[in-house]
Formats: sequence, C-alpha cells, structure tokens
Amino acid sequence: MSQDAYLRIEGLTKAYGATTAVQDVNIEVSRGEMIVLLGPSGCGKTTTLRLVAGFVEATRGRILVEGEDYAALPPYRREMGMVFQSYALFPHLTVAQNITFGLRMRKLPKAEIARRLDEVLEMVKLTPMADRYPRQLSGGQQQRVALSRALAIRPKVLLLDEPLSNLDANLRQSVAREIRQLQKAAGLTALMVTHDQDEAMTMADRLVLMSEGKVQQIGSQEELYEQPLNPFVARFIGHSNLVAGELVDADTFRLPGGAVLKLAGRYTQRGPHTLALRPERVRLHGPADDAPPRATVQVEDATYVGGHVDYLLGFAGGGSLALHEPTGASGSARRATGETVTITWDGLSERLFGSDDAAVAAQAA
Amino acid sequence: MAKGSGSAAIQANGAQLSARLIVGALMVVAIALMTVPLLMTAYMSVFADGVVTFPPSGYTLSWYGKLAEFPKFGQALGTSLKVAAAATLLSLLIGVPASIALVRLSFPGRGLLNVLLLSPLTVPGVVIGLGLYVLLVEVEIRSELPLTGSDGVLILAHLLITTPWVVRLCVANLIQLDRSIEEAAANLGAPPGRVLWSVTLPMMRQGIVAAALFAFIVSFENIEMTLFLISPGTITFPISVLQYLEYRFDPLVASVVVVQTAVIALLLLAIDRYVKLSKVV
Ligand SMILES: Nc1ncnc2c1ncn2[C@@H]1O[C@H](COP(=O)(O)OP(=O)(O)OP(=O)(O)O)[C@@H](O)[C@H]1O
Ligand SMILES: [Mg+2]
Repeated sequence: MSQDAYLRIEGLTKAYGATTAVQDVNIEVSRGEMIVLLGPSGCGKTTTLRLVAGFVEATRGRILVEGEDYAALPPYRREMGMVFQSYALFPHLTVAQNITFGLRMRKLPKAEIARRLDEVLEMVKLTPMADRYPRQLSGGQQQRVALSRALAIRPKVLLLDEPLSNLDANLRQSVAREIRQLQKAAGLTALMVTHDQDEAMTMADRLVLMSEGKVQQIGSQEELYEQPLNPFVARFIGHSNLVAGELVDADTFRLPGGAVLKLAGRYTQRGPHTLALRPERVRLHGPADDAPPRATVQVEDATYVGGHVDYLLGFAGGGSLALHEPTGASGSARRATGETVTITWDGLSERLFGSDDAAVAAQAA
Repeated sequence: MAKGSGSAAIQANGAQLSARLIVGALMVVAIALMTVPLLMTAYMSVFADGVVTFPPSGYTLSWYGKLAEFPKFGQALGTSLKVAAAATLLSLLIGVPASIALVRLSFPGRGLLNVLLLSPLTVPGVVIGLGLYVLLVEVEIRSELPLTGSDGVLILAHLLITTPWVVRLCVANLIQLDRSIEEAAANLGAPPGRVLWSVTLPMMRQGIVAAALFAFIVSFENIEMTLFLISPGTITFPISVLQYLEYRFDPLVASVVVVQTAVIALLLLAIDRYVKLSKVV
C-alpha cells in the first residue's frame, strides 16, 4: 500500500496565525479509491482539500501525486477537478460553456471538446439543458453541472467539498449514489469532504476522521465503528456512550457517583478510564442477576421511534447512558420511567480508553 | 387557536396596516420632493412670457426652438460630454484594476491605497477646485504652459471625483462575488490572467456599468470644482446655465435644463436595457 500510493499527503500542516487549521495530516490514497474526510465543523476538512487543490500554501508537509511533489505547482497546473460546496458555476456561461471551460483552457481540438461535452452531458443526463445558464437550473442540476465540469477534464484527483450539502434530503441519497457510480466507473481517485456520517459511510472506500486539525483515525467503515482508536472516534461514529470512571479491579468499573459496572475481568490496566458502549449493543433486562458485563440503572426516559425504543438510563449517583432496543421481535413492552433495570452487553462490543485516550488492550477471552 | 392569540393576531394586523400607511405616505413625500422641482422647470419652459411670471400670459413651445440661441449651448454641451466621457473612460481604466487589487490581493500599503482612492469623496468639491487652481497657477508660472482652462486639466481634475465612485461601486460589486468561482477557473486550468479576463471581469459587468454611469453623471453635473478650472473660452454645460442665470431668468434656461435631464434619463434607460440598474445601485 505505502509503495503504490497514488496520492500521498505527508505531514501536511497549515497554520493561520495562532490557529492551526490542519496539523500533521498523513493520508495515502490508492488509484481509484474514494477517501472521505469526515469530522465536525471547523476541523480542517475544507482546508485539507484546498491544500491539495493548491488554493492555499502549506505551512509544512508535502503532497505527492504518483511520486511527484506538487508543492511548487500552481492550482491551474495541478489537474485536480474540484466540486465546490457552492458549485461555483460561471454565471455568465451556459451549461455547455461551463463544462468545456477546462477543455478550452487545455486548447483541445474542437472536435474533441464537442465529443467530451456530449459524453459528460449524457453521463449526467443534462443534454437538454446544454444551452441554459446556471440560474435557470435547479439545485440538483447545478450540482451535476459542477460535477461534470470537473469530470470533463479527466482530473488526476477528483475533489469534492460537501457536494451534497445544498441538496434537499430526498435528493441527497440518489445523488450520492450517482457520484459514487461515476467515480467507480471512471476509476477516479477521489477525496471527498463531509460532516455527515451517513453520507461518509455510504460513499467511502476508506474514511479519514478528523478533529481539531488532526487525523483521529483512518480506516474502513467497520474499523472505525468496531475498533475506534479513541473516545472521539467512538462518539463521532455511531454516537457511543462514553462513561467516565475508574477500573478499581479486574471486573469493577466505578463511576464518580458511586455506581458500579460489573465487567468481565478482561483488563489489567487500572486507573481512570472511559468506557465506550454503543446504544444498539446494550440489552435491557428486568432487575435480574445476569452474567457480567452488566450494570443496574433507572429508566429516565423512553421514546418510541418506530424501529426501536430510545432509552435514557441513569446511574445511581449521576451519569447516564443511551440505549436502543429494537421493537417488535421480543415483544418487550416499553419500560416505565423510574423503573430499575439491569443492562448487559457483549464484552467484545465495549471499548475501554485510558486517561491518554488510547484504547486499553483487553486480554483474549 | 385560543381566543387570546386571535385578538393578538388582529392587533398585529392593525400594527402592520398602520406601518404600511406610514411607509406609503413617506414614499409619496419622497417622490414629490424629487419630481416637483423637475415638473416646475418643465412647466416654466413652456411659459410664453420672456420673464418668468405667475401666472403666465400664455403657453408656447417656441423656447425649445431657440435652444441654439442659448449662449455657448453647443460649445458647453460638447465640452461637458467630452470631459465626462474621457473622465469616465480613464477612471474605469484606473478604478477597475485598482478595485480588483484592493479586494483580491493583499500587499503592503493596501489600506493606504484604499484611503487615497476614496478620500476625494470626503473633501468638498470647492476645496479640491481651489487647491487645484492654486497649484495650477504655480505650475503655470514656473513652466509657462497654458494649463488653466485646458480640457486636459479639466479631465484630470474630474478623474479625482469620478475614480472614487468607480472604486466604490466596483469594490462593492467584487466583495459580493463568490471567490470560489475564480478558484474554480484556476482549478480547471486557467492561469491568473485568464481568470481575470474570462471570469472576474465578465462577472463584474454590472458593477462596471454602474460605475461608468455614476462617473459620467458626477463629471457631467459637477460645478463646484469645475468653476475654478475653466477659462472664458471653454465652459461646461452646468456652468453655462449658472452664468446665464446671473443675468436673466427666462423660460429658455428652463427648456435647456429639461433637455439636459431628458438626455440623462434616456442614457439611463438605454443602459437599463443591458443591466438592471436597480440591482447594482
Ligand atoms: N483563511 C483562513 N484564515 C484564518 N482561519 C481560517 C481560514 N480558513 C480556515 N480557517 C480556520 O481553520 C479551521 C478549519 O477550517 P475548515 O474550513 O477547514 O473547516 P471544515 O472542517 O471545512 O469545517 P466545515 O465543516 O464547517 O466546513 C477553522 O477553525 C477556521 O476558522
Ligand atoms: Mg468546510
């Protein structure tokens, strides 16, 4: 992998005065791969993309495409096709002129320009709109023009900055699928930015989760979901419950308020820890005495949302936990507020993080 | 809906109605203030009497036939049009690139340039005119060149008042243009000069047209500054009107003003066909 990386981002750093927008980012992208940069607002996703496109100059670090260092190349010589969040269509040019802009800059022969124009118009089903101006198009159509304008130049890397954020919810899924299909069909290497987790999950080959300018974890959907490297990843991907407490012995996790979670004794490292539990991996029982891991909690709130019931559970002495119980199958009735219940979970679905935020290794069962 | 909220809605409607009435009344007053002087002038221009008196003894259109008899009518109008056109063109050549530099580039002295380009707007025309006059006389004495009263000097002086308008309107226009459109052009392979020519300038069209219009009108109607810089042989149109009024007040001057207003109105209408002025001003 590291040998044949098509696009390599090495130690990329961008500082704006005192704020570091992007800090020591390392990403390797294979040819034809779709990488999605994900993270909360302001974490440096757009800045990373703009560094790759060449619109901003890196404070430190390198960007290499097929081994060639791009630092000295101005944006107009990088051959990266960018789809902007605002689409950034040329308002004074027609759809056809927008799409052929890059081809005309490359001084391609007229016949070739016409051929490629027809090809991409066909691909995004905009042939009847060729002579319209951007303002005469719907949001979804403008988005497709922006995409085909970037595709027409056959870019080395396709860059997408929140390409779906200006579309309404109904359109988002179908456009996401469309972009993904086009990218796969053309075998394009792509870097996409989004803050929407579902969008990232459906479109990515691999995900890069960022926070405060730093990469938190790079990996497949499964890796980020099942093996989060730190509490931030656990919470951001799938909204894990993060319960702070102390591992006082192998199977006792004590919360500051005094409540105790019985664990299965898989950890040796003692001290203050954070336990991450996925709401959909925790099961709800009556006040029974199940095998650990388990804990006793009180129902604070129960909301029926169709596929499952959303529970908010409180520990004695403070601290709370969200739990999703599937409806229907077990026929379990909704618990009343105030009821005391036992929760259990599979020890393999819990993650324990140390005070340094690193995952605490569990002993094999 | 509860009863309380119903009556509140009626009250809100009432408040809205009276607000609308006030706005409507203010608009009528504003429109009257703007049009009454113009209508009065147009009215006077058809009085039959040689001296404006109320009520007129009769009405005639003959003053419009005598426009050519207005002293220096042709020369003054010609000078004004020539100076305004030249000042407009030159201030566009200076102001458009300057505003692009101000908005899109960052360089040392940017703030200073901004202040320098806009400051003439804050100085009364009389002050600029007097200052220029004193300067010109000094230069003339030393260089023995006939500067005062030349069209060239007048054009350069008008640049001082037209360029700030061009910069102001173009900057306002540029600031609201989406920067990423220019980035998209670069991303698609356009070098900086090409981005400027193929994307930035076409997108600025409305701002440039508005700027040209303002520059032209500001130059054409300027009196305060121009007063110091003309020679008896070449005067501008507004000054010819002023000079005429010093000695006489007859319907001829009214008809001259009506013609001038009509010319400018036609110009605005013509431009409005290409650029919706309501969008840029
Ligand atoms: N030109 C700039 N000057 C100063 N600070 C900047 C600049 N551009 C970005 N930043 C800062 O860098 C940080 C990262 O910004 P960036 O736009 O990359 O975030 P993002 O992850 O794209 O967020 P969002 O999801 O809101 O778009 C922010 O704190 C932002 O304020
Ligand atoms: Mg962003």
